[in-house]
Amino acid sequence: MSPEPAQMKAAGTNALTRDVTVLNRYGIHARPAALLVKTASRFACEILLEKTGVRVNAKSIMGLLTLEGHHGAKLKIHAAGADAAEAIAALAELFENKFFED
Amino acid sequence: MWRTAESPRITVADFFAAGRAALQMDWEANAEAAEGREITEVALNRPGLALAGFLRYYAHRRIQVLGLAEMTYLGSLPIAERMARMLALGHVPAIVMSRGRRLPGYARQAFAQLRVPVMRTHLVTGHFMNAATVLMQNLTSPRMRVAGTMVEINGVGVLLEGEPGIGKSEIALALIKRGHSLVADDTTILTLDSTGVVHGSAVPITREHMEIRGLGIIHVPGLFGVASMREGMRLDLIIRMQKSAAGEENLDRTGLDTQFRNVLGVDVPLIAVPVAAGRDLTNVVEVAALNQRMKQMGHDAARELDDKLKVALARKD
Repeated sequence: MSPEPAQMKAAGTNALTRDVTVLNRYGIHARPAALLVKTASRFACEILLEKTGVRVNAKSIMGLLTLEGHHGAKLKIHAAGADAAEAIAALAELFENKFFED
Repeated sequence: MWRTAESPRITVADFFAAGRAALQMDWEANAEAAEGREITEVALNRPGLALAGFLRYYAHRRIQVLGLAEMTYLGSLPIAERMARMLALGHVPAIVMSRGRRLPGYARQAFAQLRVPVMRTHLVTGHFMNAATVLMQNLTSPRMRVAGTMVEINGVGVLLEGEPGIGKSEIALALIKRGHSLVADDTTILTLDSTGVVHGSAVPITREHMEIRGLGIIHVPGLFGVASMREGMRLDLIIRMQKSAAGEENLDRTGLDTQFRNVLGVDVPLIAVPVAAGRDLTNVVEVAALNQRMKQMGHDAARELDDKLKVALARKD
């Protein structure tokens, strides 16, 4: 059996979670999704975004789009790996700044 | 993302929304009661015995279907008694009138009092019972979302998985160009049907799109025609793409030892394929699908060669 792909491999070692809210008016459409992927891809750790129990890989645009993260949606960022703390901070900043959109 | 399966709960409103067109349904009364009203037993019941007064084994958690027999029976009763018989049906999830029949006045009053939503279907009772059962089973079948791209290759449903950026979408694109079809890019929903078969499909909102690095988002049927898409496909094979360095020693070089992954309780064949520069993975994936089809038809190349070898070696003993 191969390892389970999008489950946190390094869970326990350095796994962090942070709650965020989608603040920009149009929610996570293509542009914010691309920005999230670009930012997430700078980090080696595994990063998942969760909305109402559904988790997707933060390094995949199509995955993020399927979340349908509308304005006001509450999400969780999960990160596991050596640079998890930096990754979470960078992604949370994007949410807080409304993806530099509005 | 291979998590435990969930069997979704459905409400009367979900059932109506999903079946409105296919089951030719309309609201007859108390539509507002349908929202959030859960169908706790996913089946249908014809309440003939309950209407006749036998309530000991009455399946009241199911949607109740009133057909010609039920309505004719009630019509044969004294007018004063009809409403009481309807009220005895109690707080069922919903009522369906078949053959497009409207509620008679006493029944309308009874269901308003019970606050039970009532639909009518233009189908005859038997046909409705069959179609509605299948629909409800589909709506409540166990399902999970997985990170993976699914394609259909000559009738074989293949799920490609591997880390983001390993090239799942590029391979799917190359396969589409060769005449195969896309089922889902990046995220696939797997459902288990009532016969124990796993099916893959796309998340509706991103169904027709793919993301290709360097190009961005593309519209697949727009570029390659409707034949390049498939709405759903049986899952026959999982291909795990992995970087060459990792786990090369675990690779199956003969194909004799088939690996499986348990998906929603079903064992699905799994192949691990190493990704290396210059390797034409599209070919490998395409052949893996054809090989899987051969196996399903009863031919196992690895085993057949091995058997042949064993016979040849035994002669030299």
